[in-house]
Amino acid sequence: MSYQVLARKWRPKRFADLVGQEHVVRALANALKSERLHHAYLLTGTRGVGKTTIARILAKSLNCEAGIGAEPCGVCQACQQIDAGRFVDLLEIDAASNTGIDNIREVLENAQYAPSLGRYKVYIIDEVHMLSKSAFNAMLKTLEEPPAHVKFILATTDPQKVPVTVLSRCLQFSLRNMTPQQVATHLAHVLEAEGVCYEPAALTLLGRAASGSMRDALSLLDQAIAYGVGEVAEDGVRAMLGAVDRRYLFSLLAALAEGDGARLMAEADALAERGVGFESALSELSLLLHQVALAQTVPAAIAPDDPERDALFALAAGMAPEDVQLYYQIAIHGKADIGLAPDEHAGFSMTLLRMLAFHPVEGGYSAPPAGGGRPAAPSIPAAGGHEPARAMHDGEGHAGAKALIARISGRPAAGESAATPPEAASENSEPEPASASAEGAPGAVDMASQPLRAASVTLSASPASDVVPPWVEEPSLAEEAVSHGEGRKVAAGAPTPLSTAEPDSEAVVANVDEAVFDGDWNGWVARLSGRMGTARMLAQNAALRSWDGQRLELSVSEAFRHLASRDYQEKLRAVIRECFGPGLELSVRVENSAEETPAMRDARVRQKHLAQAKESLENDPVVQLMVREFNATLLPDTIQPVQE
Amino acid sequence: MLYPWQTDDWARLNLERERLPNAWLLTGPDGIGKGRFARHLAMSLLCDAPGAGYHPCGRCEACHWFEAGSHPDFRLLAPPVDDEGEGGKTGRKLAQIKVDAVREVIDFAHLTAHRGRGRVVLVEPAESLNPAAANALLKILEEPPADVLFLLLADAPQRLLPTIKSRCRPFQLSRPDRETALAWLAEQGIENAQVEYVYHGEVPLFEHDPALVSVRREFIDGLAAPGFDTVNRLAELVEKHKLPLTRPVQWLQKWLLDLAGLRLAGHIRYHPQRRAALEALAGRADLDALMRCQTALTGIAPYGQHPLNVKLQVEALLMDYLSVFIPARPAATR
Ligand SMILES: [Zn+2]
Ligand SMILES: [Zn+2]
Repeated sequence: MSYQVLARKWRPKRFADLVGQEHVVRALANALKSERLHHAYLLTGTRGVGKTTIARILAKSLNCEAGIGAEPCGVCQACQQIDAGRFVDLLEIDAASNTGIDNIREVLENAQYAPSLGRYKVYIIDEVHMLSKSAFNAMLKTLEEPPAHVKFILATTDPQKVPVTVLSRCLQFSLRNMTPQQVATHLAHVLEAEGVCYEPAALTLLGRAASGSMRDALSLLDQAIAYGVGEVAEDGVRAMLGAVDRRYLFSLLAALAEGDGARLMAEADALAERGVGFESALSELSLLLHQVALAQTVPAAIAPDDPERDALFALAAGMAPEDVQLYYQIAIHGKADIGLAPDEHAGFSMTLLRMLAFHPVEGGYSAPPAGGGRPAAPSIPAAGGHEPARAMHDGEGHAGAKALIARISGRPAAGESAATPPEAASENSEPEPASASAEGAPGAVDMASQPLRAASVTLSASPASDVVPPWVEEPSLAEEAVSHGEGRKVAAGAPTPLSTAEPDSEAVVANVDEAVFDGDWNGWVARLSGRMGTARMLAQNAALRSWDGQRLELSVSEAFRHLASRDYQEKLRAVIRECFGPGLELSVRVENSAEETPAMRDARVRQKHLAQAKESLENDPVVQLMVREFNATLLPDTIQPVQE
Repeated sequence: MLYPWQTDDWARLNLERERLPNAWLLTGPDGIGKGRFARHLAMSLLCDAPGAGYHPCGRCEACHWFEAGSHPDFRLLAPPVDDEGEGGKTGRKLAQIKVDAVREVIDFAHLTAHRGRGRVVLVEPAESLNPAAANALLKILEEPPADVLFLLLADAPQRLLPTIKSRCRPFQLSRPDRETALAWLAEQGIENAQVEYVYHGEVPLFEHDPALVSVRREFIDGLAAPGFDTVNRLAELVEKHKLPLTRPVQWLQKWLLDLAGLRLAGHIRYHPQRRAALEALAGRADLDALMRCQTALTGIAPYGQHPLNVKLQVEALLMDYLSVFIPARPAATR
């Protein structure tokens, strides 16, 4: 067992060897050059992007016998000992296995003594988010006024879990995920040095599979070399990575859009055979639904050269935006609950069946599927009939039901009134969701009468994202490399969906234009959601955390972490500022809160409408007459509340 | 000994021995023999004289120690065994691997190997590492002392911390095809092998307890013919056999899945031999109520091992179940 894995062998020893973190390196190099050093640094970023590596190089830079600088010599005693992991003045603490206050206290007490060999005593505290609260507190004092000979370098994948008081005392650098291209290029370099033959296409595959992490990439490369018996070929790598091909997802969604249950289940079985994990399949599925929604709301966001573009738009044209949203929610919940099913396959199937159960009976969106009429949702065979339950309706039944609903309600059937041609759906931001236009409808009473939740929300004393670290020493660098970017400007020229709103929406916009945000987040999102463009994804799934008249703080649950990305935040910020003035601040944090988000509210309202529709049908004299006289059966799962 | 369906996986793994990782993450569904594969691998790494195909010899001192569970260079990191319910009987395990256990393993990894063939740590299952324990393992996984190898097992690698996965080399184990599995089950002398195989999600390894199987059959008979006495009879059945809640919950979950599957997609997964009964019921089922019942089951599933009043819970679930079939109520006045 003496082979050293590539990730370890190729851990960079100089800043120059680092891939993809130029912004951080430049800032650090300048600070080192001018010897304007902060006493505590916090390095953040996902797994395997170089946090610990940078920390160690920085420790060398500070202690190299050739002098402080961005290019430690690598040959002096200090450099060599640091590389070998046995330099007395470098204390690398694994916060995760030393979480307690005692460990930290001991370490910190030690900090007051001058370094024995080096210039600085350097403390690298890795996985710092794992420290206990008391350990953090113990650390605070030292962080506040550290002895001049002490430098702290904290590293974490999860800065959200680091107390604000600690964050505010550190100069923070966020490391970037590496692009597949950067990864592939680096892998090529490694393989050339290792004398291993490769096909470039194989490295492209590995670069993608590593999803931003160089360590993942090098682990995979190790495996690929073993797998390919000393060479890295495209076929081998493809086989090794398994069918990460997303085609199965497209067939799943197509089957769903067509309401083809049998095919849906067959696809699920095929997944099991191919060894695709069901939990990851649900993640992938929600990701794809997300992209479909994107294709529906902002078609321009899908790159013209995206190889899946056509398939994506085909799906987008075949599904109603509300359904996509609903399926997305079901997929997210299904994923959260999959561990509670008898087995993953069962959890996965049940999730698909739920989507199917909510599958709309009619809809103006669906492109006519090949072979004629839209396959209908299944229904109950007449009571007492021998027909197997899987019998599918032939479409006529639905037309009948539609007409019936139309007659009873005195309105045109939903399918007719809501029909929007697919082109319109994908070109314009989005058709009006029920809740956005429901002000006058009976269901709207529900949300209008809701108390203003926000009024009772108490302002937390110091929200994490509020605190800007005191990087007085190097403002110019901070701007570039430091995360925590309230500072980043919203692209001024970016057209927002608001300005392109249809004429009849102008009134609404004008109405809120001068307005001050009244704290009713759900209400505001409901009014504007049709005109928010992509920002809607974030807005729909965020709950109001606090509002103080100046700063709006939202929270999104862990499941929607991807929506908290800077892109979405900036889009939403732009919309909000357009409504409530440019001074308004927005921050988003990831946390599971009990507050209802607009999406949850919509789902609840929808359920409620459905129940009402069902009840009113059951109580309808005409229906009752038909049940009595003609032995008719009401098909409860075919009922759709009419949306005006 | 490997299972007969694992020889290809073994050969595939042997290719990677030239470049041993710090940690292998062995994945695949529950019930395909990951644990046995991992132990065979650990034993082969520690064996003094592995034979052809790297199989452990089974005769040397190291092999003897390993089989006796006393090899000084091997550690199993697993959730503590619960004294009250031995893991097998009660189904779902809830116990976690805690950070203290990880600290011990870290100390172990820093010792010198007794026999000079390195040390192996088996983490089984890796999903049971609690967050603190998982985080505490990160450093040693990434930069273990020389000659230490970690083997992590996971049914659901998705649930592991990305930082853990990032430090492991994944290796997916295969599930046997139907014929192989059924042939093997027949060899084990399992009654009704096909029905049981299908009921357990088409994996060959499942807990087989004929007494439990007959209780299950009786329970499902009851579900298949719901009537006025169903609730009492089935709740008493569960109570009489002192079953943990997780049993009836899983039986109901599978039954409902088949009802929903048949109704919406013409698909039966777990009870193909009961098609007629399922068809009769699926026709009468109210889908909304069915989904609600299924949601209730998911809600209670985490408490499957808790000492709740099982009978009461089962009664409540069965009431939900019955309500799935209640015919549409006559109109009520508003
Ligand atoms: Zn040096
Ligand atoms: Zn041996």
